[in-house]
Amino acid sequence: MNAPAGMILQVRDLCVQAGGRRILDGLSLEVRAGEVHAIMGPNGSGKSTLTGVLAGRPGLEVVSGSVSYLGRDLWAMPPEERAREGLFLAFQYPVEIPGVNNVYLLKAALNAQRRHRGLPELDAFEFLNLVRGKLAAMQMDEGLLNRGVNEGFSGGEKKRNEILQMSLLEPTLALLDETDSGLDIDALKVVAAGVNALRGPGRAIVLVTHYQRLLEHVVPDRVHVLAGGRMVRSGGRELALELERRGYDWLRTGTAA
Amino acid sequence: MSAAPLLERIAAAHARVAPRLAGGPSWERRRRNALERLLVRGLPQRRDENWKYLDHARLGAYSAEPAAAAAATDLPALPPLPLASMRRVTLQDGRLEPALCDAPEDGVEVEDIAGLLAGDPAAALGFLRAPGDDADDRYALLADAFTGSGALIRVAAGAAPAAPVCLTHLATAAAPGTHHARLSIELGPGATLVLVERFATAGAAAVLGNLAAELSLGRGASLVHVRLHQQGAAAAQVETWVAHQEAGSRYEQHVFATGGSILRSNLRLALAGEAAACRLLGLFAVEDERQVDLYTRVTHEAPATRTEQEYRGIARDRGRGAFNGRIVVEAAARGADASQSSRNLLLSPLAEINARPQLEIHVDDVRCRHGATVGSLDEAQLFYLRSRGLDAAAATALLTWAFCADLIGRLPLPELRAAMQARFAAALPDRALLAGPA
Repeated sequence: MNAPAGMILQVRDLCVQAGGRRILDGLSLEVRAGEVHAIMGPNGSGKSTLTGVLAGRPGLEVVSGSVSYLGRDLWAMPPEERAREGLFLAFQYPVEIPGVNNVYLLKAALNAQRRHRGLPELDAFEFLNLVRGKLAAMQMDEGLLNRGVNEGFSGGEKKRNEILQMSLLEPTLALLDETDSGLDIDALKVVAAGVNALRGPGRAIVLVTHYQRLLEHVVPDRVHVLAGGRMVRSGGRELALELERRGYDWLRTGTAA
Repeated sequence: MSAAPLLERIAAAHARVAPRLAGGPSWERRRRNALERLLVRGLPQRRDENWKYLDHARLGAYSAEPAAAAAATDLPALPPLPLASMRRVTLQDGRLEPALCDAPEDGVEVEDIAGLLAGDPAAALGFLRAPGDDADDRYALLADAFTGSGALIRVAAGAAPAAPVCLTHLATAAAPGTHHARLSIELGPGATLVLVERFATAGAAAVLGNLAAELSLGRGASLVHVRLHQQGAAAAQVETWVAHQEAGSRYEQHVFATGGSILRSNLRLALAGEAAACRLLGLFAVEDERQVDLYTRVTHEAPATRTEQEYRGIARDRGRGAFNGRIVVEAAARGADASQSSRNLLLSPLAEINARPQLEIHVDDVRCRHGATVGSLDEAQLFYLRSRGLDAAAATALLTWAFCADLIGRLPLPELRAAMQARFAAALPDRALLAGPA
């Protein structure tokens, strides 16, 4: 598979089901380097299924359709290889893993990626220096490094922790699944700053969100509306504002874009 | 290996061994009596209530002949226990081996049972419990029939030895066989002891160790008992512990069962005095075709007694594990507090773990909780780790570590805790970071 120059993600006619129920139904999406896309849509429209299937979440069955990531067939890559190749999913519900402390996971993740790319692993000193800088940027307490992964974290701490991991791993394609939900305005600004810091010519970001609020802080290049398992409309950032004003109902009866 | 029935082989071995054992006519009678009762009732079977998960055929395949000890000078050195200071006591194939013992500290007395049988057989009759006929006591009855060696460890009232006592059960026989040992541990009122007990094997022969042990904690005494089952791959071990706690005493046990072809451990513990408390923490890991079968029975006989029991098991390959624990709260045990939990992790479709927690309560005014789980790793956690770039094997190793990390973290001896962390995290890189950055 050869990708057009600058193409990071190419999803074509994707159909996915879970538990025998069709969730994505002919979804297509193209994301190029340097772009920030926002995917909006009502509850149950398939937003989390899309990010999940791209990251390799078990339990989702790809019925048909292709996904090319950096010119490679995504289905041929196990989840860990997608991660090492720069695909990152910020979970809507980050998983708690008592007994594995946060700093251990951060280092294991970063070194797995570095080994994959033929880079030397960071030693403990280099690593901690790097992490401490990122923690400060996320306004996170250093004590969170010693806690079990997401164990007993508040909702906001969990989301910041996802962005901390993202900023450490510097993904080529970041998928943020409702990272803004449940955040107060201060936390939202911190998270948005983390996302904006990642913006750059070699990377792309896909924000899945229910509300327009995050998009005031992270301005998208493209906005898509996902409903009934496919993109029903795409446009510029003004589309998000229109959705904010009019809701989603008008799209259900409207024609697909 | 002989095809004769097990009991016949035991009787034949007894006929050869017993005449050589010390103790005079009184012990001769006692051993013969034990053997006769055993021959009538037989060893426990699958049909016996607390023995249904054990592979009796595998255990019965071990030779009943006495396991001949190698000379102490011919032994390969065991890896030292990571303890800054300790007083060693070694039972080599069931016999106290002076060359592998240190002089005990003030307040601690170690006596050789072989010597006691020869020198004061009547006293030995009193010190060593005569097992009953109950199925759970049948292996102790077998040990009683062969009583000839072992150790008495006593800590004087109020004594608090600074160094842990390290008791090693070392199997050295070069040919298949069985060794029987007796052990009696007694802490006087107010005494305090840390006892690290280790089972190790120097040879590759299929040797069965059969241990009958008694433990007694006087009023206000406190024992921390670390138990490391690290037998060789061909070794088998059966142990029968009977423990008794007086008022206000504390017993804390940490058992790590990671070795041997098959292990069956029985613990019967009585919280006999008011406010006596026990904490039983256990972790076993079975792989290949290894088996671990742990049975405990704790009886609350007095008011305000407490039990905290937490066992975990990990089974890989065709490994088999069992935890069968009963807590009985008798009518006199008002205000008792008992919790029991057994969590088990299956890492292969052919692995098997049976967990059977049981509470039996005969009084209203108590607080009791229990629970058991057997399951595989959490899919969501596995995916989360893989989505961060860890491959499936690394994610599995990390989650398996996480499953037992806090139990290991509760070991009170820091050097030993670090060694167990290293053992259970052996598959993981960057172990220094597992407990967080310094």
